[in-house]
Amino acid sequence: MNKLVKSLSLLLSLCLLLSAVPAVFAESDEVVDANLTCTLTLGNWPPDTAAQAEKDLFEGYKATMAKQYPNVTLVPDYYSYSLSNYVPMAKGGTAPSIFQPPFTDPQLLISQHLVGDVTDALKQFGVLDKFSPSYVEMLADENGRIYGLPRDGYVLGMHLNLDLFRQAGLVDDEGLPIYPKTLQEMAEYGKIIKEKTGKAGLVFPASETYGGWLFTNIAWNFGCVGESALEYQDEDGRWVCNFTSPECVAAMEFMRDLRWKYDILNVDATTTDWASAHTLLGTGEAAMNFAADDSVDQPTSNKGLPVEDFALIPFPAGDAGRYALAGGTCYMFAPNITADQGIALMAYLKVIGKLPFLDDQIIAGMRADYAAKRDRGAPVLPAISAWTDEEYNAAKQAIIDEYCNVDMRLYNDFFDSINEGTITLKSEEPVFAQQLYRELTAVIQRMITREGADVNKALRQAEESFQEYLDDEINDI
Amino acid sequence: MSQSAKRVRSHAKRSESFKSWLIMLPGLVLMTFFVWEPLFESIRMSLYKTRNVELVRFIGLDNFVSVVGKDDFMQALLNTFSYTFWSLLLGFALPVILAMLIGETRRGKGFFRTAVYLPNMLPGLAVIILWSAFFSGEKSGVFNIILMRLGIPAQTYLTHADWVIPIIILIATWKGAGATALIYMAGMAGVSPELYEAAAIDGATVWHRIIHILLPSIRKLAGTLLILQIISVFQIMYEPMVLTKGGPDNASLSLMQLMWQYAFGGSMNYGKASAVAVIVTLILLVMTAIYSYFNRKESDWD
Amino acid sequence: MKNIQRTGVIRDYDMHSTSVKIGYGFILFLCGLMVVLAVFPLIWVVLAGFKDLKEFVSSTSIFPKSFDLNAYAVTWSQLGIAKNYLNSLIFVVGSVVCALIFNGLLGYGIGILKPKGHKVVKRLVMLSLLMPTTISIVPLFMNIQKLGLGNSFVPLWLSYGANAMYVILFVQFFESLPSSIVEASRIDGCSQLQTFFHIVLPLSKPICTVIAIFAVNAAWSDFLLPYLVLRGGTLQTVMVRLFVFSTEQTVNADTMMRSVVFSMIPPIILFFIFQKQLTENAVSVGIKG
Repeated sequence: MNKLVKSLSLLLSLCLLLSAVPAVFAESDEVVDANLTCTLTLGNWPPDTAAQAEKDLFEGYKATMAKQYPNVTLVPDYYSYSLSNYVPMAKGGTAPSIFQPPFTDPQLLISQHLVGDVTDALKQFGVLDKFSPSYVEMLADENGRIYGLPRDGYVLGMHLNLDLFRQAGLVDDEGLPIYPKTLQEMAEYGKIIKEKTGKAGLVFPASETYGGWLFTNIAWNFGCVGESALEYQDEDGRWVCNFTSPECVAAMEFMRDLRWKYDILNVDATTTDWASAHTLLGTGEAAMNFAADDSVDQPTSNKGLPVEDFALIPFPAGDAGRYALAGGTCYMFAPNITADQGIALMAYLKVIGKLPFLDDQIIAGMRADYAAKRDRGAPVLPAISAWTDEEYNAAKQAIIDEYCNVDMRLYNDFFDSINEGTITLKSEEPVFAQQLYRELTAVIQRMITREGADVNKALRQAEESFQEYLDDEINDI
Repeated sequence: MSQSAKRVRSHAKRSESFKSWLIMLPGLVLMTFFVWEPLFESIRMSLYKTRNVELVRFIGLDNFVSVVGKDDFMQALLNTFSYTFWSLLLGFALPVILAMLIGETRRGKGFFRTAVYLPNMLPGLAVIILWSAFFSGEKSGVFNIILMRLGIPAQTYLTHADWVIPIIILIATWKGAGATALIYMAGMAGVSPELYEAAAIDGATVWHRIIHILLPSIRKLAGTLLILQIISVFQIMYEPMVLTKGGPDNASLSLMQLMWQYAFGGSMNYGKASAVAVIVTLILLVMTAIYSYFNRKESDWD
Repeated sequence: MKNIQRTGVIRDYDMHSTSVKIGYGFILFLCGLMVVLAVFPLIWVVLAGFKDLKEFVSSTSIFPKSFDLNAYAVTWSQLGIAKNYLNSLIFVVGSVVCALIFNGLLGYGIGILKPKGHKVVKRLVMLSLLMPTTISIVPLFMNIQKLGLGNSFVPLWLSYGANAMYVILFVQFFESLPSSIVEASRIDGCSQLQTFFHIVLPLSKPICTVIAIFAVNAAWSDFLLPYLVLRGGTLQTVMVRLFVFSTEQTVNADTMMRSVVFSMIPPIILFFIFQKQLTENAVSVGIKG
């Protein structure tokens, strides 16, 4: 994890030095390998109903591939991944060659042998050693074989509706928000906002699995890491969950207080999902929302909040920790791909700009992307890289800077906290995270719907239930 | 009849029978592919330890033991019975009342019938999404708009563990009650008007006529509809899935939703999902058996 | 004579009593209330579709600020609803054809031909009526994948050819047909299949209409199996789209309401065209089932 932080800080400092794109990048139209012969089915191809620009972009990728690898046939597939539809397809041998699961699933898919190995292909492209170590953890098996590449990543922080902060008087002389640095401050500021504006201080999407997902980050900041981690492997290799540590109990009591002591939550927290949380913040019904840097276009361009009324801050710290959850979407591959297909797939990912190489077409694509973002009123922000290739990262940042449309003072603390390592990035709980979230969400729901609910009892029940689950699913094999 | 004639006839009969089976074959193949084989497969899977769709090893009833032993199963089972209870309370009597009311109207009967049937035509998913806006706890929720007009402060609805199941049933009833009412109306229309006329002349009050003539006329029909309603409400799944996602604190989690969670909710445990499915089927079979036992004289199905 | 024809518990004669008159007034009031309750949510959702997101989330008024049809037009074109309508139409038509032919033939076998052993089939079909269809969705979906039928309408169409309830409705209807008609045609030398198409089907218009209506309604509303089978592809139907919106949260709440309206328009139009068949035939079949 530290390596990622270091690489990121390096990345940003380099950006300041470099302003032009170095000319080390290849032409995109030359034939690279005429002998490579195979067929790829490409999941997530834009359907007929997609925007024309997006369809053109992918047709462009296809044309480039046809020039570089004339004997690789690309078959567009409109498949969009979900765990429910993927498994039978992988078993039936009809999974597309490439598809895009979220970072919660790779370890499950890898352990069940439902995805293909691309380690050798990555080596052939000379990028295996530039792969960010924190992603290795998520996308490799215990032998270090790699089964996926990150498409994009995110770090959890907090979205603010500055309009409500201003109304509540929480701004300094320069008009910058006085924002919560700690969870305790969050509760207090939320209370001020609720009292002054009548709107929810914090929107907390506590439905299905989202609540538990956000709660894990809060729990880390209360100290649920290391010895007190929510789940860990004991010396016998058995997975154990621990929801009844004093740290976890304190974190859950804090959740309860948010509802009953500070009363800063939105009214329908138990049915609020990810999108409605963004809606409430974006339409001015809530002032704060735990959300990541990759979803900044949600409250702004999607839900109508002007970029000048929006800010992104680091995840508030707790007494015992300062963590931020990091994750994203990745590319993975069908379990039955051949060595040739593996190489062709990496070639395709190179063409669409997902390997650490830049060519004219990729740069043009990035520019078009950022210009479009700026036009529709979404913040154009620095990206978090999956590669430890400094030159590549710096060149990318230079392009982003050209299109920046926001007051970076509203974002600097977020990115600085990552670069300077004042916040520690942490990926999701390692095994069966979705089920863990589900159990914890139920506890949160009980806490915020029943005044005086017994925290210890609820957590103990959830712990027993999840432990049974772990025993059945993983400790038993 | 001579022996040979008999043989010819029995031969013809056999070929006749063969042809009949041939005609039924496409339907049988489809029933097998879409219903029977998958059901058989579900039962088989429920007896195996599965790793995604593969059967790893036979484990007898372990899946059942493990599934039943968990808190969420007990909760889902109780909830499912609670769904059934509310569905009987709200959804069973209401159509009868609707049918009686519409049946008594002297003008505009066709209009009333059309209006109450309308919601039944709408896609169930769209209905749930539509009603979710009515039960929003925000000030923009439709019920809250109405309450605030009446000077009552805004409420939250779906955050109350005790309210979610009645609310979901209320929505289902809104969709289905009208159509069921029309079935009852058809049943009530079977009573000859002369019967009421004669009773009226004998001095029976309106109330007496309802109790002694109208209601008995739909007794058998009500029995059939009751069992169908129980079967269908026992399978309730996407309504809570979309409206509450089973919350708050599993208060609206149904058995079928639990099955879906096991299969598609992140763990891909199809063995356990199948175990839940088989349990639901068994409960339904038992309930139907009880029903047909009490109803055996009236049943014209074998 | 008129008062004899009129159905209903309350007779003309009762209407002379004041208390019955008041009661009748109350009945009319309740019926009116029912109509309002049945129709109001539909009117509301159409109105809500005119609101923009901010208005939908924050406004405390039932009525939108403006009745600009543009909101609907934008949603229609942005989400490419026309394409989904077409997909739904193809899905529905194929499903109805399959529902009539396959279930009809099976029902004909069980209800009229009655070959030796047909009772076993009848029992099996009856039993399948009890089985929650969602139960076997996992193995069914696996089978469809194994046959390479993913992302195609074919398995979805055929799934409507295997509906226990439709089979039973057919059987009940066929059994009610006078056996003399069928026998007569057999003596005339018609084959079993000819009898079905020339004699039985023409007599079965009422049941066919009803099953067609049921199948249209069911197929239009269907989304679980179609969601799994059609994946993220270009064949998505309106309801699959709506399900994806509600689970993947890719559209805003106001757009969602407009999508709900779009998903309801075709069934409502159908309803008004076929309301007589629906409220009379469908019901009289329902009463036997």
